[in-house]
Amino acid sequence: MASSTTTISRLTTLWESPKTVYGWFATVDHKTLGIRYLVTAFSFLILGGLEALLMRIQLFHSDMSVLTPEQYNQIFTMHGMTMIFWYAQPILSGFAVFLVPLMIGARDMAFPRLNAFTYWMFLLSGLFLYISPFLGQAPHAGWFAYVPYTLTEFSPGMGLDFYAAALIFLTISTTGGAINFIVTILRMRAPGMAISRMPLFLYSTGTISFVTLFALPALTADCIFLELDRRWGTHFFGIADGGSTFLWQQLFWFFGHPWVYIIFLPATGMLSMIVPVFSRRPIVGYPFVAIATFLTGVVGFGVWLHHMFTTGMSDIAMSIFSAGSMTVSIFTTIQVFAWLATIWKGRPVATTAMYYAVGSIVLLVIGGLSGVFTGVIPVDWQAHNTYFVVGHIHYVLIGSNVFPVFAGFYYWIPKMSGRMMNEKIGKLSFWVMFIGFNLGFFPMQNVGLLGMVRRIYTYPQGVGFDGMNELITFGAFLFGIGVLISICNFFYSMKSGARAGENPWNADTLEWSTSSPPKAYGSEHIPLVATRHPLWDDFDEEEDPENDRVLDWGRLTPTSTVLDAIPVGVATIPEDSLAPLLMSLALFGFFLAIIYQMMWWTLSALILTLLIGCFWMWPRTKEEVVIE
Amino acid sequence: MSTVQIPPPRVSLATLPLDQKRGMHGMWCVIATESMLFVTMFAAYYYLGSNKDRWADLVAPKWWLALILMVILLASSAVLMWGEHQVKKGGFTAARIALWVTVLMGLGFLALQGFEYAVEWKDTTPYSDSYGSIFYAITSLHALHVIAGLLLLMYVGVMPRYGPTARTPHKPYTTVGMYWHFVDAVWVFIVLLLYIIPNLQRYMHVHH
Repeated sequence: MASSTTTISRLTTLWESPKTVYGWFATVDHKTLGIRYLVTAFSFLILGGLEALLMRIQLFHSDMSVLTPEQYNQIFTMHGMTMIFWYAQPILSGFAVFLVPLMIGARDMAFPRLNAFTYWMFLLSGLFLYISPFLGQAPHAGWFAYVPYTLTEFSPGMGLDFYAAALIFLTISTTGGAINFIVTILRMRAPGMAISRMPLFLYSTGTISFVTLFALPALTADCIFLELDRRWGTHFFGIADGGSTFLWQQLFWFFGHPWVYIIFLPATGMLSMIVPVFSRRPIVGYPFVAIATFLTGVVGFGVWLHHMFTTGMSDIAMSIFSAGSMTVSIFTTIQVFAWLATIWKGRPVATTAMYYAVGSIVLLVIGGLSGVFTGVIPVDWQAHNTYFVVGHIHYVLIGSNVFPVFAGFYYWIPKMSGRMMNEKIGKLSFWVMFIGFNLGFFPMQNVGLLGMVRRIYTYPQGVGFDGMNELITFGAFLFGIGVLISICNFFYSMKSGARAGENPWNADTLEWSTSSPPKAYGSEHIPLVATRHPLWDDFDEEEDPENDRVLDWGRLTPTSTVLDAIPVGVATIPEDSLAPLLMSLALFGFFLAIIYQMMWWTLSALILTLLIGCFWMWPRTKEEVVIE
Repeated sequence: MSTVQIPPPRVSLATLPLDQKRGMHGMWCVIATESMLFVTMFAAYYYLGSNKDRWADLVAPKWWLALILMVILLASSAVLMWGEHQVKKGGFTAARIALWVTVLMGLGFLALQGFEYAVEWKDTTPYSDSYGSIFYAITSLHALHVIAGLLLLMYVGVMPRYGPTARTPHKPYTTVGMYWHFVDAVWVFIVLLLYIIPNLQRYMHVHH
């Protein structure tokens, strides 16, 4: 392609954030924000992992007293919340924020300032939640927080107020992110990247963004009800005044089960990117995988009652939701078979990323099978409140989230940092993690079937659980050591890893056409896409001799039609701004004031938020770009 | 590789017009998720009401004020639509006037709703029982949306020449207008589900 120093220097001036304190806090660059998302979410993974290890020490033997029951409950709750809300979804958002614009050949997200805002909201909501342990009043009712235990009568402290407010806080971030992904993926694709040519990661991210829009309000409403009942004297959940305890569970799981797919689908999308590249062939059954991804999101709305089979409901409701749960496993199976067929028909390359990808398929199948067990109602009645379910959820979540995320790290860190990760240490880390994981979580299913009850801080002596629990604790620590090896590998490789170059894996998607790490403006010429595998297929008309696709007279990126990606406009991208950070700080104050019922502070924080919003949106003439 | 190659039509990017649709697409997503918030609330209303007398026939709310409120909101939407039409034609002063008339009608709505709370609902409060809790939750959540819509409208009302020009990346007038129409549509559902249907149920119960 024609490339000239003048256009490059113009693009750099336009797109690079200044390397100052202001630039650090004000940047709207999706690459910087994506990496921040990843670092923050990974820190929450470590935090949640340490909490898990504390629990495992307590459960090492029967009747141990490392933790008091209340401490155990708090740590157990914080572990669940940290992992499910502040690690599992945000880390996928991190990958998506970094990768989606590069994959579609856009220069930034559709709403870059919203992108910065959702990052700061994510970070601050996590910090907000972690205020509560320092007050000695962390939430202690599990990540699901069933009423009536969570009403003030039984949980008088501030813990569950932090729970409700932190979740509403995070919901704003997640919803904003979903809106941003939807508009970006549907409207900002490079010319020619028709919907039938999108990388599968975009299908999964797009699907879960729609799911987010429709599922999260149930959680918001639920948390509003809970907070109103706890501190403002309403009667949503108290039976005595006509409330219903099951209202909480209904709304929570109406949100909760789609959330499982929100933290699962983008990870499968990542596998659908990684497995074909290391099998050296296109994925088998691209349209089936795309459709299965979308249908998982849709059918995921029809399975939530399977979390409540033991609460008592009509036979017809149980049958429908049991069937729904079985149906959804069909779509997952389609994806699994597509990956297996891709490996089967291809020439697999054994890289660390591929190790993690294949490992995750194995774990996902084991977890999926125990999921079919629990989808069968009589089995569920037996196993519901035991460690069988704990084993199942960890197989599914670690198999379908943590392992793909590690595969993603080993695959995309060369793009993000410009340096290759060490393969030998990576494979060692994989084996330690894989063996540790199976030693830790497979016996959980066994002790569960033997009758060990979940969510309890200890178990009695002499019922035969001790040996298995020692094994589980040993496995958990081994898993932790495996993660630690990868962390060490990261720091080692960042210092002395080999230079990555543009496309170290010889991959097919557009993010590999940029330099590593990518320039602030992405690629100099907006790419033109004619196939599903732009970097594998030659395409004669890609050249841009007249610099038509450089767009170097403003912060610009093309917009295109939803289906065929025919270019229809040029979108302006706003400049750096402090407003997103300031607004999330004001909202932090708002949520803190409202749970302590300091109404004047609440009102002040709200007014401050609105004023920052006015400042954020106020039109400034120099940002206007004249295209006549 | 053997995948089919169909090059995109040759379009010169440099000559394309400025995109002004992203704001509206974002707003549609906001409306989708906000609708779901209200759907959830309505579901909670019916879930709490199942197996109880109140919703069916005991005390059905008086509906005449709610209908007047609905007329106010729908009329305000009509005024705003006229304003959007003016923006398209370039009649910016008329559009600004229409916007401020809408704001006044919205404020009237809030005042009348406060009156309704104080007069018609003085015996039922959020603290009396679950019916009061969910009724106030839905209606006051809607009122908060009205306030949000009004703040957005007022913001656009004082924006300098930004909305109307063809050279700006967004169309705040129509985008915010869409939010206002959404808020009005929600009230129609509230009237239907929380006022009219309970009255119909009561009527059926009394007369059959």
